[in-house]
Amino acid sequence: MRKTILGLAAAASLAASAATAQPIPVGHLMDLSGATSDVGTPFAQGVNDTYAWVNRTRNGIGGRQVNVLAFDYGYQAPRAVSQYQAWSRDRVVAINGWGTADTEALVRFVTRDRIPYVSASYSAALTDAGGRSGRQGVEAAPFNFFYGPSYSDALRAMLQWAAEDWKARGRPGRPKFVHMGANHPYPNSPKAAGEALAAELGFDVLPAIVFALTPGDYTAQCLTLRQQGANYAYLGNTAGSNISVLRACQTAGVDVQFLGNVWGMDENAMKAAGAAANGVVFPVRTAAVWGAQAPGMANVQAISRVSDPAGTAYRPVHYLAGICSAMLTIEAMQSAAANGGQVTGERIRDGFYARQDWVPEGFQGICAPSTFTPADHRGQLTVALYRARVGGDTSQGSVAELMQAGTMGLEPVKTITLPRRPDWLGW
Amino acid sequence: MEWALLFQLTVNGLIVGALYGVVAMSFVLIYKASQVVNFAQGEFLLVGAWVCWWMLTEWQLPFWAGFLVTLAFMTLFGIVLQVVVLRPLIGEPVISVIMATIGLGIFFQALMKWMFGVFAKPFPPIFTTERVSVLGLEVQTVYLLSLGISLVIMLGFAWFFTASKHGLAMRATAFDQQVAQSLGVSVPRVFAMSWAISAVVSAVAGVVVGVVNGVSSALSFYGIKVFPAVILGGLDSVVGAVLGGLIVGLLENWAQWLDAGWLNWGNMYAIAPFYALVLILLIKPYGLFGTKNIERI
Amino acid sequence: MVAMTPAGDFRASYQADTTIFPTRNSRIAVWIGLALLCAAPLVLGRYELGLLVNIGIMGIAALGLNILVGFTGQISIGHAAFFGFGAFASAWLHDVAHIPVALCIPLAGVMTAAVGLVFGAPAARLKGLYLAIATLAAQFILEDFFARAQWFTGGVAGRITEPFEILGWRADREESFFYVVLAWVVIMFVGAANLMRTRDGRALVAVRDHYLSAEIMGINLAYYRTLSFGIASFYAGVAGALYAHYLLFVSVEAFNILLSIQFLGMVIIGGLGSVSGSLMGAAFMVLLPEVVQAGADALAGGAIDRALRLGASISFLREMAIGAVIILFLIFEPDGLARRWRLIKAYWKLYPYSH
Repeated sequence: MRKTILGLAAAASLAASAATAQPIPVGHLMDLSGATSDVGTPFAQGVNDTYAWVNRTRNGIGGRQVNVLAFDYGYQAPRAVSQYQAWSRDRVVAINGWGTADTEALVRFVTRDRIPYVSASYSAALTDAGGRSGRQGVEAAPFNFFYGPSYSDALRAMLQWAAEDWKARGRPGRPKFVHMGANHPYPNSPKAAGEALAAELGFDVLPAIVFALTPGDYTAQCLTLRQQGANYAYLGNTAGSNISVLRACQTAGVDVQFLGNVWGMDENAMKAAGAAANGVVFPVRTAAVWGAQAPGMANVQAISRVSDPAGTAYRPVHYLAGICSAMLTIEAMQSAAANGGQVTGERIRDGFYARQDWVPEGFQGICAPSTFTPADHRGQLTVALYRARVGGDTSQGSVAELMQAGTMGLEPVKTITLPRRPDWLGW
Repeated sequence: MEWALLFQLTVNGLIVGALYGVVAMSFVLIYKASQVVNFAQGEFLLVGAWVCWWMLTEWQLPFWAGFLVTLAFMTLFGIVLQVVVLRPLIGEPVISVIMATIGLGIFFQALMKWMFGVFAKPFPPIFTTERVSVLGLEVQTVYLLSLGISLVIMLGFAWFFTASKHGLAMRATAFDQQVAQSLGVSVPRVFAMSWAISAVVSAVAGVVVGVVNGVSSALSFYGIKVFPAVILGGLDSVVGAVLGGLIVGLLENWAQWLDAGWLNWGNMYAIAPFYALVLILLIKPYGLFGTKNIERI
Repeated sequence: MVAMTPAGDFRASYQADTTIFPTRNSRIAVWIGLALLCAAPLVLGRYELGLLVNIGIMGIAALGLNILVGFTGQISIGHAAFFGFGAFASAWLHDVAHIPVALCIPLAGVMTAAVGLVFGAPAARLKGLYLAIATLAAQFILEDFFARAQWFTGGVAGRITEPFEILGWRADREESFFYVVLAWVVIMFVGAANLMRTRDGRALVAVRDHYLSAEIMGINLAYYRTLSFGIASFYAGVAGALYAHYLLFVSVEAFNILLSIQFLGMVIIGGLGSVSGSLMGAAFMVLLPEVVQAGADALAGGAIDRALRLGASISFLREMAIGAVIILFLIFEPDGLARRWRLIKAYWKLYPYSH
């Protein structure tokens, strides 16, 4: 009799402890109000929705719900750092970060505290896990990861495409390349690497042109661009200010092939810029865009319904990238929790190395494959280039309607796979 | 020497400078009439642009109707602001009034972001010909419209202040409030009117900038550019403000030419007007055209 | 300020009349308050201590601005730039000259004071609106300098700083850094109160009240106006240095025009020309965003939240609250919290005859 009661009590207490299993705290830095909020809002939405979906449909991670501590830091690095210090005392096990300035500022802190940091900044300086690249100002970042090609690698791929494009068009002489962006870590990140490769490929590298991260009147910069005779211009800012440049340059009659970065062009920007965005070539981090046919699109739509139960919203490319970024973190945490293991920072980091050509389960055809190794955190060296096509007036109608009607479209141009050169690591 | 680029930048500077001049005019109007430094001038542009955009997209009004509704709204807006916020502060030290307008600026900027979001929204197309060639530079039609409107406004101001009863009352109030009051001028009404006119004129500038660049919170920077313009042109004269605006526009673009040609610092466009401002204040503490205060002991 | 002393408490000498804490009760209150604050890290959690540390740092900077704006009658919309200069100077001194952090903080204050004197000399000639605009321009120019001067500030990427360390005791957590900030707050505030009862302090007040009469009486206007800028910059520099060694990271983005406006807001809400008001104003401005956040959290998930989209717009609500609070204080309580506190004290002292 006593044994039965003891047995029942033991079973009850086990059940109780399982029911009240500790949630896993995960930090999430968002920019919903600052200089990059135009692209920060859909990305953050994607991350939050993914965690909510995993909590709901997959019962969290190893039976434990994920508690996402989301904080809008307005793209101001000091606020991110002070929030990080609060989180490290709350013992978060992983952080989904955002911007380049704050991610680079926090590298030393996350390495000291051993917390994996999956950023939305694709700065190449974060890929040097062992600190052996020898590049100035690049520290070891063994706990920093990101989903997608780095800014530098994306620019390198676009430069290779530009060199081929120049030859294919049969233009004489050397093409001219110019880097345009704000004086800020995020646009500056690929500048040195891009200009070096451009010189290697036979471009004339013109002095860089600066324009702010906020929308404004950039006619003067466009006139300078035209005067210098540039052929290929890299836009280093987010979509919001790139739109201003595109419109100003269209008015001023500048004939240049614009190369965007992953945050520099999306469906919302195409609608806002209208015909000025036509022809911009930019990389897309995911294997498909919203509404395309892919095996994983059903899960993506399920995630979208977390914040849009009616299912009518059009999700831009950044939303899907947010899903993939969050899914990488989640599957790494699942690796750590497998076989009853502890979900600690180091085990999550090791979870990132557990798979090759890693596509999160259930998202085939959506997320591109990533491979991380302990010395090299360049997850993707394959860059998919698309061209924005805008064929008419975009001021009436929603993004979804315009995409469906064919007024706006994203046409694939080329997929370039870069060699994994050791001298390209970290910059 | 890229003279062609310099010429084009000069034309661009004059066109943009005309807009700065319009905003500077409204700033000086408030200062002259009620001795209030309006740090929220940029937010007047912002509110005007958003209201006009909202009229055009949400209510599907044609441009002229939406524009007129915006002007009517801004008149009310200016009057309400003056009555509710500024009238209780009459007589307070200048720092308090400055802080009140700064507080207004912060409040309305955040309110616009809350109501309309952070994305830059474009205006629906208004003109059939988007671009016109002016002296070899391709300019958006709406900028020419703004030049035209600026001229009309300046002429209107000139007539208003010299020939109309209310304008003369405003000048009298600016000169000496007590004497004006003793002559029967209603000083509070003059204050409210000056704020209303300033709000309307700023809204016009805001709509123009919104049509060209899309409406976003960056419009409030025009309120900051006002300060070099009024220092250059003098706080006391409306014509000086216009001149100051034109000079700031030219300064920015010439600095960009210098920067692109030789310096390659990248930021001269944004910061050159402030260096000019500081230099001028070092040499002439009352601005280029301002009148020195003769002080009574 | 004349403190209301109880009957029988006489002053027999001029020196006794100008003591900073005039009555026995106020002295006891100060000692008890200090003791409570010293015990605070044992009781309060990290979050609350972090708030107190922020209040202390902002209070020192606000006090500097109050000396400039409230006591001398100048205007400065560029205070955040001096705050930032102090932060960068302290980090730079430690990195380059390897001076221990405990000494870097006052040295950074001195460096910032020197920069303040440089800006103050021409500013002494300007009055009113022109001074406001000149300081606004100085704010933008200094911000631009911070973004460009990679050797000094680390450029736009910012710079990591080292924590405060003295004789092996590291103050890199809230609990320990709290004492550092407390010590500096006491030193700076007592220093400011002392300044105001010296000849120089009275000269500054004279410059504010009627500068022509002050000049006639022999007070050198340019000297005192410049000195006022220097003192304000010293306070801002010390506060900035403390901030740098608390956050362990400095970057130019923190020192923008909004921070300058917040300092001005602290001074005005606390009360122009009041030493204790600076701390009250700083406490108000630091706690206001927390209150707004708590309000939004309380309403989260409810009907109001959905209708107004509170959750996503918390940053905008915070800014709107700051702007609205500044305006409301100016309209309804133009003399600030210090006056309201004096009225409350007077009510109790004079009860039942208070007016």
